[in-house]
Formats: sequence, structure tokens, C-alpha cells
Amino acid sequence: MADSAIERFLYQEARLMDEGHYREWLSLWTDDAIYWVPCSEDDSDPTRDVSLIYDNRERLMQRVDRLLSGTVQALDPKPRMRRVVSNIEVGSADGGDLTVASNFILVHARWDTQQIWAGRTLHRLRRDGAAFKMAFKKVLLINAEQEIPLLQFLI
Amino acid sequence: MLAKSDQPVGKFDELIQGARIHGSLYRDPTIFQRELELIWYKVWVYLGHETEVPNPGDYIRRAIGLQPLVVVRGDDGNVGVFFNRCRHRGNLLCHRDRGNAEKMICPYHGWTYSRSGNLLEPTFEEGYDDNLSRDDFGLTPVPRVDTYRGLIFASLSADGVSLDEHLGGMKEYIDLFMDLSPLGEIEIRKGAQKLRYRGNWKFHPENSMEGDYHGPFIHRIAFELHSRATGLDMSSLHANEIPDVIRSLPGGHMVEDYRGATMAPPSRPPTPARVAYLELLERRYGKEKTRQLTTTIPPLFFVFPNLIHIMTHIRRIQPVSVNESYVYYHPVFLKGAPDEINERRLRDHEFGFGPAGFIAPDDIEIMERNQVGVRSEGDDWQFIGRGMHRDQILSDGGSTGYTMDENHLRGFWQHYRKLMNGNGEG
Repeated sequence: MADSAIERFLYQEARLMDEGHYREWLSLWTDDAIYWVPCSEDDSDPTRDVSLIYDNRERLMQRVDRLLSGTVQALDPKPRMRRVVSNIEVGSADGGDLTVASNFILVHARWDTQQIWAGRTLHRLRRDGAAFKMAFKKVLLINAEQEIPLLQFLI
Repeated sequence: MLAKSDQPVGKFDELIQGARIHGSLYRDPTIFQRELELIWYKVWVYLGHETEVPNPGDYIRRAIGLQPLVVVRGDDGNVGVFFNRCRHRGNLLCHRDRGNAEKMICPYHGWTYSRSGNLLEPTFEEGYDDNLSRDDFGLTPVPRVDTYRGLIFASLSADGVSLDEHLGGMKEYIDLFMDLSPLGEIEIRKGAQKLRYRGNWKFHPENSMEGDYHGPFIHRIAFELHSRATGLDMSSLHANEIPDVIRSLPGGHMVEDYRGATMAPPSRPPTPARVAYLELLERRYGKEKTRQLTTTIPPLFFVFPNLIHIMTHIRRIQPVSVNESYVYYHPVFLKGAPDEINERRLRDHEFGFGPAGFIAPDDIEIMERNQVGVRSEGDDWQFIGRGMHRDQILSDGGSTGYTMDENHLRGFWQHYRKLMNGNGEG
């Protein structure tokens, strides 16, 4: 598989998140999706330890429904953001899935403040015809263990 | 007692008048300084739960006000709370969030303390004569430490009311909350969601015990999603206002007590794990109490000045400055409950709380805007008068009101005023 197809997928996902195309983003996930943002750096067990986000498909749909509801105060005014995805490393996983690690830097602007978020993302991508779907995504924020501001956007 | 921050005693009678609260209380740095001295460094403050330090040598870093502390379980099994500062040159002794230590060794010059705080070795001791006696250089313990059902509290004042008196009627609510466990015990595990917000610490208790008044405005979508997913209709709680829900307790504590407000029964049958859990509760507590505990939202409460319990978790509020605060969300696990129930609680917690949740962030956003709003000094007063005409004053001096009344806030501010006027016992 050409790495450029993987790059294109990651860039597309980044753009959908940045621009708030939530439904399109949701369509990138498989039915057995897991979207995980731990709040510790060491290996926590999401069935026992709290996470910032640990969404299955149902919770992902709820997250998107809420973001699209037009009633979330933290989205009014709307945050502006752009992220850069880089340092992509591709491996393989069981069942033909691909594991993709990448770094991101996200600049987020709202009210009078510009925030920088950064971290490493681990994707597990599954082939879906000529495209990919996300079966698993784990985001390791570099400030996962710090007191962080609201995280009311897709990371 | 006259505080270092030079405020005339009695000033707070002008700033807090029944249902009127002055905006400077949220933005004046000298008032924040006085709060540190007369509230945070005086009263009982919640630090953590005993299950966070189960074994000798287990420690967690905590703080009261701006002062760093370390909570450590000693070899004798007792929990000690020390100022987190090396007695040598004032270096931060324990710099990790949590861990286990044989001994506590200062990274700066190697001064070494036992897990009970005794100075074991000042290092290169031959350079000291009798100006250094080990007995005089142990870690400084905080003046008072006490626990209630595993909740660890400390006070930086040697004098004041006992923890038992401080908690008073709150013990009944803490008991109800712990009794959700079939063993009557909770567990707090490692890991917490940590959040910072640009707002005064007092916005947090004010906001957190009035979910029914602001809920329909800022949490509507979260409540809808919850109802759709669980079949539990939370709107059945605020559809008809009922009396005796919002409580103010002496000592500035606040409660939302829904025991009289049974929710509409869930539209879905309980899972096998839920059935097993209810059986365990019935075996321990009987049918009637189990029904009380499980057919509505268990009481939500705030223990002055920094402990909140809401549904899934214990929350600690940490003041940073007059316009910045930290919040720590610790999910509560019920000992003796089926694993599936505890995992369900964890996922329910993440639904609502922490920086990426669906409920708490709505509140945090409002608190930050509240901090901006009170910069406007035009009419520099907030109004907390809802239900004032129908307050029921209780025999202990507390009060009870309807679902959306603000009697709890009036109680909170009365207690605050007493402390800030220097008349508080802690």
C-alpha cells in the first residue's frame, strides 16, 4: 500500500476535524470503532482507569450529535483551528489492518486566546474498498497529565 | 483575628447581604489573599481518599490553597500529611504526582526522611555540630488530619472545630453515597481528569449544586442524549418543581437531595449485572433503602470548601489565583459491585465529566464567562433570591428549598461571610 494513500487519509481526517465536518468525520469510522484519549502517559487500562475520551461507535455518534446540536456553549463562538500532521510511520497489524503513528500540532483560537495542543496519534486503519476506515485511534497528548483547558473539539 | 491582607473586619457584611452578592468577591486579589488566610488555611480541606495510598510508602501530591503537601502512608499504616518542603533549604521534597517510596529523599542535597516524616540522614552529617538535631528536623506535619469513611481531610490551623463537627449533617449524605457500594466502601484509583479554568474558585460550588435551574439551558443536549441512551428521563426531575430538594447545611455545605423525587422508571429492563447489583444492595440494606438509593439520582453534595460529589465521581476544587482554578475529577468505584457496574460507571463518568465530557464543560465555559461578566461594575451585584419567601429553616440552622431555589447559595455565602469577617471557627 502506498504511503501516500495513508497520508491523504490522515490529511483528510485532519481537515474534517479542523473545519467541523463532524458527520463526514464520523463516516470514517468502522462499526467496532474505539476512540481513546487517555489522561495519563503510562499504560492505563481503559476498562479500569479513567480516560478523557473512550468512545465506542454509540458514544462517537453522541459526541457528534452534541457538537452539531447548536447548543454547546463552548462552540459559541466557534473555535478556529488548524493542525499539522507529520512524522508518519506505518506498520501492520493483525487481520491486514495497518497501524499508523503520527505526530500533530494543533493551533486553536477562541475568544482572546490561542492554544497549542500537540501529541502522537496511533491509528489502526482498515481497508474499505479503495479507501480506509478507522477502527481504532489513540491520541497521546503531551499534556495528558496536566491541568488542561476544555477539550471541546475533535483531536 | 486580623488577616495580613488589610481588610477591615465587618466589610463582608456590606459585600454579602442576604440575596445580594458583590462582584468584587470574584475579582479582588486582596479578597483572594484573605480567603487563603481565613478559609483555606483554616478550615478542614478534602485531600484525597485512603484507597489512593493503600500501602506503606504510597504517596500522592496534594495542596491546600497555594501550599504543596504530600499525603503518605507510613509504616504504621497511618496516613500522614506533611508540608511538601525539605527542612534543609526549602526545596520541593516530593515532585512526582504519586508513587511509592522506601524513604523520601530530597533531590537537592539528599536529606532523607522516613515514611513517617522523621529525618533519617541530613547527609555529610560530620559538618554539623549540635546545631542540627535530627529530632528537630523531621518533615513538618500539617496541624490536623482526620478521616471520615476513608475521605482524608486536613486543616492548617491547630485550633478549630473537629472534622466530626465540621461535617455535621453532611455525614448522612456521605453515608448514602458510600452505601451505593454493597460493601459500604468506595475506591479511588490512580488517574484523574485534570482541568484548569479562568475563573474564581467560588463559581464552582455555586454552579455545581443547581443542575436543575441551569440544566435545561446549558445541558439540554447532554440530558437528551443520556435519556435516549439509558431510557432514564432526567427531565422528569425538573418538570414539576418539588420542595425539600435543595439544602443548605451549617458550615457552608450544600446538597441536592432527590430522595423525595423518584424519577420516571427506565423504559428499558435492567441488565443482568444491574439485577445482580440490586440483589447485593438489598441483601445488605433491605428493599426500602435500596429502592431509595437506586430509583433516583443519589444526593449530590458539596463539602465546604472544596469537595463535590456528583453521580459518578468526587471532584476537588483547587484555587490558583483570584481568576484561575484547577479541578480534579476522580471517578468513584463501588467495592463489591460487579465489574460491569463499575465499568459502566466509568463510561457514564466520561460521558459527563472532565475536559472532553458532555456536561461539565458547559459549566466551565459559563464559569469563565462569569469571570468576565463580573468585571462590569455598573450594577455590581449578583442576585441569589430565588425561593427566599419559602425557605424552610431547619432545626440545625440549615434550610431547605424547592428544586431550583437558591437557598443553598445563601447558606454558602452566610458561612463565607462569617469566616471572612474573622468570626469563623473553621
